[in-house]
Amino acid sequence: MSGSAIMRPRIVEVRERVLKQNDLLARELRQRFQEAGVRVVSMVSSPGAGKTMLLEKTLTILSREYRVSALVGDLATENDALRLQRSGAPVKQITTGTTCHLDASMISAALMDWNLKGLGILFIETVGNLVCPSSYDLGEDLRAVLMSTTEGEDKPLKYPTIFNTADIAVITKIDLAAAVEFDVKAVHRNIQTVRPGMRVIEVSAKTGTGLENWLQAVSLKK
Amino acid sequence: MHELSIALNIVEIANEELTRHGGERIRAVHILLGPLAGVAKEALLFSFGLACEGTAAEGSHLVIEETQGQDLDIVRMEIEP
Repeated sequence: MSGSAIMRPRIVEVRERVLKQNDLLARELRQRFQEAGVRVVSMVSSPGAGKTMLLEKTLTILSREYRVSALVGDLATENDALRLQRSGAPVKQITTGTTCHLDASMISAALMDWNLKGLGILFIETVGNLVCPSSYDLGEDLRAVLMSTTEGEDKPLKYPTIFNTADIAVITKIDLAAAVEFDVKAVHRNIQTVRPGMRVIEVSAKTGTGLENWLQAVSLKK
Repeated sequence: MHELSIALNIVEIANEELTRHGGERIRAVHILLGPLAGVAKEALLFSFGLACEGTAAEGSHLVIEETQGQDLDIVRMEIEP
């Protein structure tokens, strides 16, 4: 009798978010950012969408008027940080090794020796990936999902989750749209299908087209 | 893919809960998984086996109940004794 009782498993109720640790840490970060007056903007895209180039332009222009800083995530190399440091803004690389995303603990660790009060607008460039970053809250105020005109117009339909967790969508390399026969109307339609009402900004970091709209969105400039 | 990170989180929480309930082994962990959680079911099942190794959850089953939205929650566990 007691033998069968041992064999029968006990059912225990749990009710825990799998990512509770990350969510708690992200909430803590958000509060620290708020207290230090830091505005945090994260940028998510697939590799090659032009995050670094847009960020380079953004840091250069905004640093004339604001304090700006950046954390950049990649699997390997410090290349992006070196490139972005040319803007004069404090920039730190987070190399994740084999990990496909940044999480709140990596942000927290990277900020350890920085004084939050001096960061102004902090940009977080995530590892190029449209899937995994959608699960991780980084404590940011604004999450921008970027896609370039050299990607398919149906990308929002293929990766609805990231479009649903982001606050704004940015179509990059808009100067190439005609050359690659990118259907701008179709992509707007597709974004609105997966996320009705989402704000979409078209930019070209190269020519400067639309940059003003992007800068206004990230800096909350009127 | 980040399913291994997710699986490690599940196993960590499950082991904490096991200790809290004074159990010895985990037989199964039941989770809710929504399509907007950004987690692939097959990859998660595969990773779960790896994540369990060397813990009290070794050899346990991950039971995935597919739901709506962004759900990614542990709802219950089967433990012994």
